[in-house]
Amino acid sequence: MEAARASRADLLDPGELAALGHIEIVARWIVDGFLSGLHRSPRKGFSVEFADFRPYQPGDDLRYVDWKIAARSDRWVVKQYEEETNLRATLVLDVSRSMDWKGASRAAGLTKRAYASQLAAAVALLLLRQRDAVGLIRFDDAVRSSIPPRARTTQWRRLSGAIAEPAGGRASDLATALAGTARLVTRSGMVILLSDLLVDVDAALPALRGLRAAGHDVTVFHIMDPAERRFVPGGEAQYTDPESGLAVPAGADVRTAYDATVDRVIDEWRDALGAMGIAYEVVLTDQPYAVALRRAFDARVRRS
Amino acid sequence: MNFLAPLYLVLAVAAGIPLLLHLMRRNVGARVDFPAARYLQRAEQEHSRSLRLRNLMLMLLRVLLVVVLALAAARPFLPGLGVGHGPTAVAIVLDNSLSTTALADGAPVFERLRAATGALLRAATPADRLWLVSADGRVRGGTREQLLAELGRITPSEGAGDLALALRRAAAATAAANLPVRSIAVATDGQRTAWATAVRVPGRISVLVPPGEPPANRAVVDAATDPPRWTPRGTITARIEASDSVAWRILIGDRTLARGSGGMGIPVAVRAAPPERGWQAGRVELERDDFRADDVQHFALWIGAPPAVSVDAGAGTFVTTAANALAADGRIALSPGGGARIASADVLMSLPALVLPPTDPVRLGAANRSLARLGIPWRYGVLRRGPGIVRGTRLDGVGVTERYLLRREPGAESDTLATAAGEPWIVAGDGYVLMGSRLDPAATTLPLRAAFVPWLAETLALRLGGPAGESGAPVRTRPGAPVRLAGGVDAMESAAGARRAVSGTATHAPDERGVWFMLRRGRRVGALVVNAPAEESALARWSAPVLAARLGGRDRRAAGSGDEWVRSAFTAGSSRPALVPLLVTALLLLAAEAAVVRSTRSSRSIA
Repeated sequence: MEAARASRADLLDPGELAALGHIEIVARWIVDGFLSGLHRSPRKGFSVEFADFRPYQPGDDLRYVDWKIAARSDRWVVKQYEEETNLRATLVLDVSRSMDWKGASRAAGLTKRAYASQLAAAVALLLLRQRDAVGLIRFDDAVRSSIPPRARTTQWRRLSGAIAEPAGGRASDLATALAGTARLVTRSGMVILLSDLLVDVDAALPALRGLRAAGHDVTVFHIMDPAERRFVPGGEAQYTDPESGLAVPAGADVRTAYDATVDRVIDEWRDALGAMGIAYEVVLTDQPYAVALRRAFDARVRRS
Repeated sequence: MNFLAPLYLVLAVAAGIPLLLHLMRRNVGARVDFPAARYLQRAEQEHSRSLRLRNLMLMLLRVLLVVVLALAAARPFLPGLGVGHGPTAVAIVLDNSLSTTALADGAPVFERLRAATGALLRAATPADRLWLVSADGRVRGGTREQLLAELGRITPSEGAGDLALALRRAAAATAAANLPVRSIAVATDGQRTAWATAVRVPGRISVLVPPGEPPANRAVVDAATDPPRWTPRGTITARIEASDSVAWRILIGDRTLARGSGGMGIPVAVRAAPPERGWQAGRVELERDDFRADDVQHFALWIGAPPAVSVDAGAGTFVTTAANALAADGRIALSPGGGARIASADVLMSLPALVLPPTDPVRLGAANRSLARLGIPWRYGVLRRGPGIVRGTRLDGVGVTERYLLRREPGAESDTLATAAGEPWIVAGDGYVLMGSRLDPAATTLPLRAAFVPWLAETLALRLGGPAGESGAPVRTRPGAPVRLAGGVDAMESAAGARRAVSGTATHAPDERGVWFMLRRGRRVGALVVNAPAEESALARWSAPVLAARLGGRDRRAAGSGDEWVRSAFTAGSSRPALVPLLVTALLLLAAEAAVVRSTRSSRSIA
């Protein structure tokens, strides 16, 4: 079990994994590891590629009854086909200044942006291997990269190149980015948002609701540093938001209240997004990628 | 409230640190990038009341903690609070007088007093100041351990000591101590005669007198010889105090001279002519009882032939008459031209002699030349006329109207036996007794006094009649008492032969009771008789409450047992060290601080 765990890159520590190679290579290791651990149970449907027979059951579409077999053996069976999707997925990656941060106690850890980028690359590769069309939007206070969803073999190279581009380092304007996504993906598909959600909530929620109304399946990965999830005070100091410049004096005494507040914020996001039918997952930057990948894979399966 | 180390109170200034941190925490200069600052802001807004309350509570707890620790460091003493006892200056008066050797329940009372004193010393703390004062008034100060060691060295004295002096010194020692509580602890057998002269002392006093009645005592309270010089006959008298008849024995040296039974206040008198010669030690002994120290009384006597005396015609009628009376009684042997001479200095040819001044002042030069020739280190000075009063053994109150001033030659070594108007009147040395006035009623009233003949007999017998250099009657004294020895005495020798050197004439009697012979160049010239004071034989006691009432003021305690005495000596002060309660308080504050911190963590996990 441990040997298998050690051989699967999706289960390794993200910080250690990032040190092993470029984002493109690492993404392959992650996806390979993830797929090798996945029990292959593809959903059988009624697509163009034949997969198997099964006995006819009342209610089955008569178009799929194999009449030749019925004639020869007086047995009613229906043909099953490997389901073939034509999913269009768009990764919306937050590369704002707040994402370019990690807790001081994790010298070997990844910034939120590095973690989200690696996760985005892995998800993109996973989807591309499923022959889905994958696009990308990187944003901070404006849309920095915009790659329409494609299923071509060169798409992976474009996506990984864009993901690895340096960040703009500005504030987050999620609403604008989601509006751009809506324009970019005209057909309903899957949208995966990777962000620390340190955004204007009042603007972001309507934009997410708009995406959902457009028929998109939306999954939100709330990327958080462990030091954001549970406050680790370094003594009395002015805690300053690098994006907004908001400075809050605090010390160890506020830790409890902070943790309770973050719990409440997460609950609020989960409630608000759940009400819209949007999947929401908090992802800590010290978690193995498998957790988030499983979530993305489930979303893809659900979509198909 | 008192403090043992008040300087540590300045540590309380540190209480300002939590306060300062509390006030300054919103003005800290350090800046930390934290993208989720909005959550912090929201947390502070949502929990502002509880945060403020919690911070205030933490600040108060921490300020209190610092204050309590500073108080604890200052070692406070609070009334009615704390454990043990506060720093106390305790002077212990340990009665080790002779009477404490009396047995009670098979053991000397002194051992019980010493055990109680040891318990009291062991109950002391390093913060206490301690003194141990024995019955002789000697004050010993030091640490508990040092005084415990001193206590082990203290033994019952051979005399009564001076408990009044010991008590005064104990009071002075505690009064000088810079401590809030001062206490005098007296451990005694409560003997009435020992405490009769003691006066009240200010401050707190705790008195321990072991319960029980003193043992029935039988004592020889006096033993004396008459005359001091036996020629060779004399009388030994003894006074025995006993409630019933008791067997007694009189010894000279180790030989029993007489024995019998008696007591009940009837004096014992034994006349004898013992064969021994020279200075002898003797004692009167009783059967042993529970107070053994007064079962023996020592005496000394000189035994020999009556001294030969020749009286010069110029000595005067009174001297001649007295000499004849002494010769008739066998106290002296008149020997014209031989033995000790009684003569004027100007006609004196040899020693030993009772030297009188010349009858005619014009002979003064011849008298002084004669003194110089005979080696007498005194000279006659001017003739002084006028009334004067004499001071001296047997001679107190004698009047003088005419006397020569006696001038001492440089380096002279001699005794002054009597003074007149504060100046030497009768002096004595090796083989001479020199007088400043003629023994004539025109010059002094001495020849008219009843003491004249005994004085003359003693002078001739003890100073001039024996071998040259005898120093007079035995000196009777108490152990350790100051004594004045005869001039030229360079050592003392006990009856058992133990010697100790002396220098000068002013010294103290040995602590051991018995007869000590005075030696001059190895020859016995006198005796020192050291006996327990008679009052030590009176063992009647005061109880602890009565003695405490006599010695103390309002703040007095009486104890019948050692434990009670120790408690009363230390817990008499109402203040106790509050160190432990303060440390407990500090621990409680720490626990409360931790509880406040933990309570907020718990509320987080519930949320």
